[in-house]
Amino acid sequence: MGNADLRALASLREVPFEEVSGVVAVDAHNWLYRYLTTTVKFTRDEAYTTSDGEEVANLVGLVQGLPKFFEHDLDPVFVFDGGVTELKDDEVAARREQREKAEEKLAEARERGDAVQAARLEARTQRLTPVIQETSRELLRLLDVPVVEAPAEGEAQASFMARRGDADYVGSEDYDTLLFGAPFTLRQLTSKGDPELMDLDATLEELDVTWEQLVDIAILCGTDFNEGVKGVGPKTALKAVKEHGDLFAVLDARDLHIDFADRVRELFLDPPVTDEYDFDTDYDPRMAEAREFVVDEWEVDEAEVERGFERIEEALVQTGLDRWT
Amino acid sequence: MFEAIVSASTFQDALDSVSVLVDECKIRLNEDGLAIRAVDPANVGMVDLSLDAAAFESYEADGGVIGVNLSRLEDIAGMAGSGDLIRLELDEETRKLHIRIEGLSYTLALIDPDSIRQEPDIPDLDLPANIVLEGNQLDRGIKAADMVSDHIRLRVDEEAEVFYVEAEGDTDDVDLEIPRDELIDLTAGPADSLFSLDYLKDMNKAIPGDAEVEIELGEEFPVKLHYELAEGQGQVTFMLAPRIQSD
Repeated sequence: MGNADLRALASLREVPFEEVSGVVAVDAHNWLYRYLTTTVKFTRDEAYTTSDGEEVANLVGLVQGLPKFFEHDLDPVFVFDGGVTELKDDEVAARREQREKAEEKLAEARERGDAVQAARLEARTQRLTPVIQETSRELLRLLDVPVVEAPAEGEAQASFMARRGDADYVGSEDYDTLLFGAPFTLRQLTSKGDPELMDLDATLEELDVTWEQLVDIAILCGTDFNEGVKGVGPKTALKAVKEHGDLFAVLDARDLHIDFADRVRELFLDPPVTDEYDFDTDYDPRMAEAREFVVDEWEVDEAEVERGFERIEEALVQTGLDRWT
Repeated sequence: MFEAIVSASTFQDALDSVSVLVDECKIRLNEDGLAIRAVDPANVGMVDLSLDAAAFESYEADGGVIGVNLSRLEDIAGMAGSGDLIRLELDEETRKLHIRIEGLSYTLALIDPDSIRQEPDIPDLDLPANIVLEGNQLDRGIKAADMVSDHIRLRVDEEAEVFYVEAEGDTDDVDLEIPRDELIDLTAGPADSLFSLDYLKDMNKAIPGDAEVEIELGEEFPVKLHYELAEGQGQVTFMLAPRIQSD
């Protein structure tokens, strides 16, 4: 897993919300996953399921999370994952295994009556079921928040949109957006307080490497698509890539091998993405229908979402003077 | 340097117009008078105030900028009776403002102007309708609207030459109709916009009842409200962004 390694390399700084504005291409899976894990973590699990057991915490997450964008002059576009990239099979299998382990432990914790442990494990067993994905899309449609369907990875598509200038930022907690070439990534959009801005150009400048070299460094450390070289951390990888020029030269010089190294590289530098998307951020939400969908159709307690709906309504119907300057 | 004497009521009216939108502001101490421009944190309401040197009993300044905590300054100014004079003097060394009112002396610590939100650009608006009326007339419309709703619609019927103030609540409606002959002046044009009463109520509070208010209005455009202070030697312009009309 490359996240901690990438954090060590990335140029990050906290920015006040007042200093950011524009379109954010949100990695929908990543964002929803964060909300599911944080929303469910501290509460009874029955609170976020319908009478027939369907998970609906995502709807609560959307209603509570969207105002943050609108109130801070950020226009979200949610980018959903398409198919799982083939090479990621290992990763998917590993995550599945982890989840199964967590589920076993969760059952044990429940039997023991250990509520805290159960809640913590609950968070880890969350997944984005087809129902979660479909109800999320439908609520976004009712609120007139644009959705883009990625051919493969949502992060890759969101980063592509940012590179083309169709989005000002990618919204994701993952550091991979740096490898996908997103110029600016906003992190911590689901947390309290100000977001963290990850800046690709500043990262490259600080490290004195090219984007391709940064990808090579990440591959040496290990990414979602490949196992890294044992014993190679970000510092060693940076030094090696700078010394030898690129990944293949490093592998040659050290007599190492990484499976499908060239394909992994291509997945970051030239991933499957589409330019066939079209969205506008002139919101025209159908508030009454959105409320009905969440509260009546999906049985979410009105008290959980009313404040969020009010904030969305207020933020979207009230224009700002900056629109005329 | 800055040293001035001003009547309490002029100073209070001027501060009121700004404090309805922000808690802190920059005050420009220009040679020809004092100027404040501020926008609320949500970017919805803006005020542009100037108080000419002639509005003061005496005024001397050389173009500095100070940052103030408005509620503090308002509280101090509020200690003065309406006929009193307020003496202001800036101590450049300590960056404090000395305020003296009838034997009462107050030293106000200033705020670093750089820590205050940047002064906004004024929207460039060419609004087709122009309505001039008394502060009291506007106040009546806003008070009535506030009974039934949290937003208010301002519009002009071009043909009939009537200015309407309307509010639609969940159950009740309010309608105030002011024809041309009851207005001080009217330039009719296509104008119909919806505004948040939260903001307009606060702005209205700052407008003296006997002031002449000029409203510039368009279709789903910000509204501008102008009025004068200190017998024309002070000018205030409020700008308020519209709400989107959903139906």
